[in-house]
Amino acid sequence: MISANAALTGFYDYREVVRSVLIAIAASYAGLDLAGRVTAARGRVRLAWLSCGAIAMGTGIWAMQLKGMLAFHLPVPIVYHWPTVLAALLVAIFASAVALDVASRQMGGVEALTGSVIMGAGIAGLHYILMAAMRLPAITRYSDFLVACSILLAVLFSLLALLMAFGLREETRWSVPRRVGSAIVMGAAISAMHYTGMAAASFFPASPPDLSLTVSNSPIGGFGVVIATLIVLIAAIITSSVDRQAHAEIQRLNEELELRVAERTLELETVNQSLRKEIAEREWAEDELRRQKEILERIFENIPAMIAFFGADGRIELVNPEWERTIGWTLQEIRERNLDIFAELYPDPQYRQMARDYAIASTGGRAEFKVRVRDGRVIDMATHVVQLSDGSRLGIGRDISQRKRTEAALREAQADLARVARMAAMGELAAAIAHQVNQPLGAVVTYGSASLRWLATQPPNLQEAREAIERTVREATRASDVIGRIRALLQKGSPQMERLDVNAIIREVLVLAASELLKGGVTVRTQLAPGVPAVLGDRIQLQQVMLNLILNAVDAMSTINGRPRDLLITTAKHPEGALIQVHDVGEGVEPAQADHIFEPFFTTKPQGIGMGLSVGRSIVEAHGGRLWFAPGSSHGTIFQFTVPKADSIA
Amino acid sequence: MTEQSPIVFVVDDDASIRDALRSLIHSVGLRVELFESPREFLQGKRPDAPSCLVLDVRLPGKSGLDLQRELAAANIHIPIIFITGHGDIPMSVRAMKAGAVEFLTKPFRDQDLLDAIQVGLERDSARREREAEVAVLRKRLESLTPREREVLPLVVSGLLNKQAAAELGTTEATVKVHRSQLMRKMGASSLADLVRMSEKMGIAVPKS
Repeated sequence: MISANAALTGFYDYREVVRSVLIAIAASYAGLDLAGRVTAARGRVRLAWLSCGAIAMGTGIWAMQLKGMLAFHLPVPIVYHWPTVLAALLVAIFASAVALDVASRQMGGVEALTGSVIMGAGIAGLHYILMAAMRLPAITRYSDFLVACSILLAVLFSLLALLMAFGLREETRWSVPRRVGSAIVMGAAISAMHYTGMAAASFFPASPPDLSLTVSNSPIGGFGVVIATLIVLIAAIITSSVDRQAHAEIQRLNEELELRVAERTLELETVNQSLRKEIAEREWAEDELRRQKEILERIFENIPAMIAFFGADGRIELVNPEWERTIGWTLQEIRERNLDIFAELYPDPQYRQMARDYAIASTGGRAEFKVRVRDGRVIDMATHVVQLSDGSRLGIGRDISQRKRTEAALREAQADLARVARMAAMGELAAAIAHQVNQPLGAVVTYGSASLRWLATQPPNLQEAREAIERTVREATRASDVIGRIRALLQKGSPQMERLDVNAIIREVLVLAASELLKGGVTVRTQLAPGVPAVLGDRIQLQQVMLNLILNAVDAMSTINGRPRDLLITTAKHPEGALIQVHDVGEGVEPAQADHIFEPFFTTKPQGIGMGLSVGRSIVEAHGGRLWFAPGSSHGTIFQFTVPKADSIA
Repeated sequence: MTEQSPIVFVVDDDASIRDALRSLIHSVGLRVELFESPREFLQGKRPDAPSCLVLDVRLPGKSGLDLQRELAAANIHIPIIFITGHGDIPMSVRAMKAGAVEFLTKPFRDQDLLDAIQVGLERDSARREREAEVAVLRKRLESLTPREREVLPLVVSGLLNKQAAAELGTTEATVKVHRSQLMRKMGASSLADLVRMSEKMGIAVPKS
């Protein structure tokens, strides 16, 4: 027998110790994992998770403690009172339930402390209950200090475990590695508490214990406990993991849903906004429409032009005040008297038909009519008919009588001015023309004298005399021709528009200008294109333009000495009709004068009156052509003008 | 030297005038040659006969006055009768100053032209005679010895033989021999005759 006074020396099976620590870690992991589940769940599910978790975690702790004890060997046989062992399991489960419950709630300092005290008490209780379940032929004595230490450690570790569980219960990305780390810390802490508690106990030999209801500390049994416990723990962890994944999926779906809702909300808001904008725009558009309508109405009432709406049948439906003022009839009168307004406005039936056709059938366009107004006056009206989309027509008209009168006066004034300019040009030409006439007259006189002398010879030379007389006649005719042309140029008369050959006009003018060209030492070349179309114009006026351009060219070259004074006159076909060009090799038009040479009374000639180009341009423009100038290729200037072809003017 | 019949040249660009002039001048029995331009006239051959030129003032290219100036510069002394369509006074003054026979404005009286032509031809005949005479005298002058040519101006200026000898640094007898020699060679019958010849040849007479 062993002395009762000497403590029994115990030893540990270290493999069992390692197993117990592993179980502690596994239990810790399960507990941390389940705390997350319990936190995530609500109601019955929470209760189920809490229960299962408590069972799994409690079993784990219990198994760890049991295992730790089984690892302890004494020189005496140790058996366990199994009801006490089972009671210890219940305590472990209860402590775990408290821990999970606390860890899964909102936790303040007080709750954490309370929870940790309860849990620590549970774990410590479990330990000492299991100690109490030991049946061995020895008396157990406890070191008070170490017991206190173990209880304190249990409470501290519980607090640590709760804080960890609290920190880990929210699912985070790093939760698995962190949870493993925490489980290791917690497992180590539980083991430390356990082995501190074990160290607090000393065993002294005593009488054999009551062996009723005991089980032996068989290694196989211990192994079975371990395996069962591990199965429970693994099942708990797997379940928790599956649930966590499911939960995470739900949460993900939830978040996705929320995101969609947010998106849809945003969309709706955008649509709402654009609708609001649209409404504002529509309101603005309506305002604008009202404004435009008002503007159009004001225009209709106040515009100094006649406006009339014709129905599809040609009946006047609406007229504006200016129409009533100008025509003299009001719309009301026309309606009340069922007036045939066309008959009033156009007394001549044929003319009326034309006007009516225009009002009914025109698809838009301009026309001028003579209209008899109510007081019997006949006015000139320029009209423009516009077809509206519904088939009715809008006629816009203006009284242009005044303009017509002005135009007629202007035409007359222009014709007078042209004649004056022509006379001025002829004045400039007078000396040259005198020469032109004098030349044949000189020949006439000389031939006449010669013929007299031939007749006076003895015997008279009749042959020579006849020839001289024949030539006298020819020369007299030549003089008469020149005079005829001059008289035509100076004639007063309204312009006579006729088909003209520009080449012929140029040849005629060259006859008149010949001596002036000679006097100026100018050599003329002509390139008169054979295919130039006939133009519509006044012969005399076009001759005047041509004559003026030729005289200007002679004048432009009067100071040229280094090069031949060549004048080139060309005609050519032009898209508008005929193009006539007069090329000189003078000094050219000075840029400063370029803008003025077409102005009346602008002249560079000492004796000029400055009407030639200004009148020339107005003549050409009255013919529907253009007169302009351009610099020549090497020297001088090209004055040119176009005259529309006869066929292009109706 | 045989005197050819006189000829009238006409330069006018107007063919009718030209032809009318031909008819008129021809009707009084004068030869006529017609030219259209001064250039044509200058290029043409002029026969050795009394002649005159009927010239239009206004011509293409060169004017009649230009031609007058050119002829004078070329030492061609043909009498010119200007005709013009519209003569102005400055132009006629210039022409007359430059030696024109007449300046007629078209249309002119036929007699005026024919008179002017007559004057021109006579003037040209006289000039030709004068020139022929001078030519003979110049030939004679060339036959003088250098010493005789030195003596001639002194004699013509009216110096006595003695004075002339002093001037030349020789004897009176020598001067006398030279004088009779040159009188004979020049064909001068008297001193007055010799003086007239000298004037014709344009020999400068030193002033005593």
